[in-house]
Amino acid sequence: MNLLKRLGLNKYEVGESHIRVNVEICRSCESKPCIAVCPAGTYEAQPDGTIVAHYERCLECGAALVACPYGAIAFKWPEKGISYRYG
Amino acid sequence: MSFDADVAVVGGGLGGLSAAISAAKEGLSVVLLERGAYSGSKNVSGGRIYVHSLLKLIPDALERAPLERPITRETYEVRCGDRRVTFTFQKRNRDSFSVLRAKLDDWLSHEAEAAGVLTSFDTQVTGARREGGGITVETNRGEFKVPLVIEADGVTAPTSRYLGIRRLTPEQFMVGVKEVVATKPELPEDEGEAKVVLGLTAGLKGGGFLYTNRESVSIGFTVKVESVQEKLVKTSELIEDYRESLGIEGEVLEYSAHLIPYMGYRGLPPLYAPNLMVVGDAAGMLISDGFVIRGMDLAIGSGTIAGQVAAKLREMNNFTRTDIYQSQLEDSFVMRDIKAAWKSFKGLSNPRFYEVYPQVICDVLDSMFSVGDRRLLKVAQERLRKEGLGLTSLARDLLWFT
Repeated sequence: MNLLKRLGLNKYEVGESHIRVNVEICRSCESKPCIAVCPAGTYEAQPDGTIVAHYERCLECGAALVACPYGAIAFKWPEKGISYRYG
Repeated sequence: MSFDADVAVVGGGLGGLSAAISAAKEGLSVVLLERGAYSGSKNVSGGRIYVHSLLKLIPDALERAPLERPITRETYEVRCGDRRVTFTFQKRNRDSFSVLRAKLDDWLSHEAEAAGVLTSFDTQVTGARREGGGITVETNRGEFKVPLVIEADGVTAPTSRYLGIRRLTPEQFMVGVKEVVATKPELPEDEGEAKVVLGLTAGLKGGGFLYTNRESVSIGFTVKVESVQEKLVKTSELIEDYRESLGIEGEVLEYSAHLIPYMGYRGLPPLYAPNLMVVGDAAGMLISDGFVIRGMDLAIGSGTIAGQVAAKLREMNNFTRTDIYQSQLEDSFVMRDIKAAWKSFKGLSNPRFYEVYPQVICDVLDSMFSVGDRRLLKVAQERLRKEGLGLTSLARDLLWFT
């Protein structure tokens, strides 16, 4: 089962974005570790070297708070977001 | 200055609920703030609780709590490519159980309400500041002014960060990724299995897990965040291969992920500040010593103690003396066990356990189960020599666990 289908199993209440990315920092970042760290595939590289954050995928694991060694990700807990039914 | 309650508990997981229950039992007025729509809605655990501290808090919990299966089988599996070494230890007991947090935490929140805790769901704490001899907790539903905060807001400890006593760094955490799969375990009703899989995530520091529930299994893996940053393996893509390798078929019910504190005794964050006590994951409380992985019992234990200390502080009419919490923790199983696990915790950070030894074990057994030179020590020694190691360096690495 691919990632988006897996995420689709979960119950979300999506509000405003709780993630801000300083994409100027991303341009000079080659390894983009945020993409590897995030289990929800929230961070996607663009052809121009920047990152787009698909915040609605967020599993609220908290890894975004330490994923970027260059401090490009500003992450706050969303007011609504995911409701796990098993956990 | 007038306060809204004796104590505000930030976070309605197991640590916060235990703190709230224990403080309410002591007669304090307690308000509990939880971001989720219900307790457990934001919680993920691998899936196993050692119940001793829950039973201290709620003596008949075994009859009433929504526990899944008692863990009666402990399985280790070492993998190297398509070769595997597996061993299982079996013992009937009711010391630990598989759990699903959305059920367990929700149940405990009703216990808290019955004990007189005022629970406020859908309530997000957005800030905290010191004011008027206490702490003002800022939320999406307004402010709560209290002389004492019990912080149970999880692994990323936002309240400690709002108050400026905590910074997060990648080496403090593992990231856990999990699936719950609908499948009835082929086990007797009163038995359950916990499995640890090593050599799973080539080169990544971490391992896989499996816990059998009543009608499902929880599977997943945990890896150190800094290890992912170094190896650049996508955590979002590992789980499907893992499920297939376990041979588990069934409908996937949920995909989840969570950070796990991984700091060890000497790496623990501040556990208290004036007017503040920190419990559970927010306090970095985790034990992983190669045999047991414990977090929930520590959250319940530390929460229970924090609630009791809260009552003592009110009696003293001095909410700054939260250092009492630290010393009571030191005298309890919580800190004793975390301290005792420190050496094994350090031992497990040795990369050889992830990069070298799984291959060595498989190769040695491969030789032993083949026709040819089959003296165990000699085979092991020769295999280790290829890695530039010897039996003494192996013994030295294992001594960390004694």
